[in-house]
Amino acid sequence: MTAKATTMASPEKIIEDALQKGEKSLSEYDSKRVLAAYGIPVTLEKTVKNKNDAVSAAKEIGYPVALKGSGEQLSHKTELDLIDLDLNNDESVSRSFERLVNRTDVKVDEVLVQQMVKGTRELMAGLIRDKHFGPCVMFGLGGIFTEILQDISFRAAPLSKWDTIQMMAEIRGKKIMDAFRGKPPVNREALASILSKIGEIGLVHKQIIEIDINPLKLIDGNPVAVDALIVLK
Amino acid sequence: MHGKDLDLLFNPRSLAMIGASGTPGKWGYIILLNILKGNYKGKVFPVNPKSDAIFGIPCHKTITDIKDDIDLAVIATPASSVPGVIDSCGQKNIKNIIVITADFSESGPAGKQLEKEVVNKISKYGMRLVGPNTMGIFSARSSLHILMPTIIPSHGPVSMFSQSGNVGVQMLAYGKQQNVGFEKFVSSGNEADLSAIDYLNYFYSDKDTRVILGYIEGFEENSTFLQVAKTISKEKPIIVLKGGRTEAGSKAAASHTGSMAGSSRINKAIFRQAGITETASSQELIDCAKAFVNYPLPKGNRVGIITRGGGWGVLTSDACAENGLEVPPLSADLISKMDNLLPKYWSRGNPVDLVASIMNDPLPACLEMLANWDGVDSIICLGSGFSSFGFEYAKDLEGSKELLDTLKRISDLFQMRTQQADPVFKIIGQLVQSTGKPIVSVALGSEDMLGKNVDQYGIVSFPTPGRAVRVLKHMNQYRQFIDSQHS
Repeated sequence: MTAKATTMASPEKIIEDALQKGEKSLSEYDSKRVLAAYGIPVTLEKTVKNKNDAVSAAKEIGYPVALKGSGEQLSHKTELDLIDLDLNNDESVSRSFERLVNRTDVKVDEVLVQQMVKGTRELMAGLIRDKHFGPCVMFGLGGIFTEILQDISFRAAPLSKWDTIQMMAEIRGKKIMDAFRGKPPVNREALASILSKIGEIGLVHKQIIEIDINPLKLIDGNPVAVDALIVLK
Repeated sequence: MHGKDLDLLFNPRSLAMIGASGTPGKWGYIILLNILKGNYKGKVFPVNPKSDAIFGIPCHKTITDIKDDIDLAVIATPASSVPGVIDSCGQKNIKNIIVITADFSESGPAGKQLEKEVVNKISKYGMRLVGPNTMGIFSARSSLHILMPTIIPSHGPVSMFSQSGNVGVQMLAYGKQQNVGFEKFVSSGNEADLSAIDYLNYFYSDKDTRVILGYIEGFEENSTFLQVAKTISKEKPIIVLKGGRTEAGSKAAASHTGSMAGSSRINKAIFRQAGITETASSQELIDCAKAFVNYPLPKGNRVGIITRGGGWGVLTSDACAENGLEVPPLSADLISKMDNLLPKYWSRGNPVDLVASIMNDPLPACLEMLANWDGVDSIICLGSGFSSFGFEYAKDLEGSKELLDTLKRISDLFQMRTQQADPVFKIIGQLVQSTGKPIVSVALGSEDMLGKNVDQYGIVSFPTPGRAVRVLKHMNQYRQFIDSQHS
C-alpha cells in the first residue's frame, strides 16, 4: 500500500489492464502506481471498499488523511465534491466514507485513503505527445491557478540536466521554489529527476498520450505527486 | 559529410534553364537575366523550343539536345509539363533539379497528385529537388543567382533557408542594406524532396558558412529537427524567425497539460532546447546575424553601459534588466581612475554617464577603462557617432546677425564632425579585438550614415539601445547553451 509497495507493480501490466477494460485513462491510484514504478514520489495511499478497511488504512498511513471517491468517468473529483480533506480521526474517516459511497448522483466504486499533504506551494508536472516532436514534458505552477496563469515551460524528452534547470528557470513564478515563509526551498535535484523521469515514461510507453501531476506538493521541500492522471491512447 | 551532399546543387559547373524566355516579365526571362547579371561562373544553357537564342546565348530546343554535361536543371515551365521535363532531365542524367513553378501541393488535391508524380520521378532517377514553388537559390561561392527578384545580395558567411520565398528574399535585400553578407540561400518551397533539415545539414558541413538563418513555418510529423539542430548549434549558431506563433492550444485535450500545450509553446521550447536563437522580428533576425558574425560571444551576462546622455543610460539599464542582463556597480578602483578624466559631478556608477562635451571627448579613454575592467562581459556604448540632429533646424531660424553667426559656427563644427567617422568607432573595433568582449555601439542617427561610418571598422552599431540589448541577450543565451554542452 505504501509507495514502496506500489513500486512492485508493473506499469505495462497496469496500462494493458486498463486498455483491455476499454478505459481512456488510468485511475488516480493506478496513475500513481505507474509514476512510482519510475521512482517518482507519490502520496501514501490505499483503495478500500468498506468502512473498516478505510479506518485501518488511515491508521496505517497516519493521520491526517484525505478520502477521495473514485470510479469510472470520475476524473474531476473537486468539481464533483468527491474529496474530503484533513480527516484527523477514525470517526471522521468513517463519516466521510459513508458520505462518498452513499452518493446517488455519481457512482463511487471505491474510496482512496490518502496521506494528507499540507502546504500552500503547488507545482505541476506533466506530459503531452506532440505530433512533431514526440513526448514533451511540462512544468509549471499547479493547483487552482494552473489554467488561469498558464505559467509553464516545456521540453522534449529525453531531458538533459540542463533542460530541467532551464524549465525551472523559465516560469515567471520561479520564486515559489525558493525558501518561502519559513519553508525550505524546493529540492531541485529531486524536481529535476521527476521531470526527466516523466520524459522517460513518455518514451517507453507509447500508449500514454498525456500525464498530469497536479498538484505536485512539497514535503520539507521534496516534491510529491498528490494527484495524478494518465491519459491513454 | 552530414546528411546529403548538396555541393553540386549550390555550386553547379553548368546549368540548364528550362522555360527560358526572351519575353520581358516572364519568370523564365527574369531568372535567366539574374543568373547572367550575377556573373555566374559556370556555363548556362537556355532551353526553349521556340527560340534560337536568348540574350545572345544559343538556345536549345530540348534538354537532350545539349552536348555538355549538366549539373543542374532549373525548371520554370507550366506545372502540368514538369513531370515530362523531369523525364528528359533523367535521360540527360541531371541530378539536381529546381522547380520554380507553383500550382502543386499548395493549391489543392490535383496539385498534390502532380507533386506526388514529380517526387516519384525524382526518386526513380536518384535526383534531388528544390521546391516546387520555390523562389530559388543563391550561392556566393559560384556567384549563382537563381532568384525570382532582381537582387544581388552582399557576400558574407551567413547562409539562410526560408520556408517562405518572399520573407527569404526580403531578408537578402534587408541584409544588403544592413551590411549582412550571405554565402548561400534557399527558398525551400513545398519541400517535396529536400527539406529544411537537409539544408541545415548542408550549411553545417559548408566551410564557408559560419552563421545559419532560418525562416520556419512548420515541421514534419515525427521531425528530427531537434536532434539535427542541437548537433549543429554546438558549432554554428542557428538564428530563426518563426511564422505562425499564435496558434491556440488543442481544446480537445483531456488533461491540464494537454489543454495548455499549444504548438507555439512547444516550438519555443524546442528552439531553446536545440540552442537556437529565436528572434521576434525580421529586423531582430538580421541584427543578430550581424552581431553573431562580427563579434565574439560575451562570457557572462554583465553589461557595462557608457553614455553621453543620462536618460539613454537609464532606458538601457531598464532594457538590460528586462532581458536578464545585469548592470553591475563599478569597482572603487575603476571609479577613481575615471575621476581623473571626468568632471567632479559625473555619475560614478554604471551606466557611466559622461558629461557631454564637444571638445576633449572623454569617451574613448573611459570606454577603454570600462572594457578592460573584469567586472563586465559586454558593453553598450551609447551616443557614439555624431548625431546630425539639433543643428539642421538652425538654418531656418530668424534672429540677430550675431545669433545667426554663432549658430552657423556651431553648425559648421557639427557638420565637420559628422562628415568624419567618430574616432570612437575605431577604438571600439580595437577593443573588441583586444578584450574579446562584444562592444555594441548605439548611435542615434540615420542608418545609412551609420552604415558608411561603422562597417569599415567591423563594429556592430544600432540606432536604438533596445536593439543592442536584445542582441546581447540572445548572444548571452547562446553562450549559456554552448557552456551547458561542455559541462
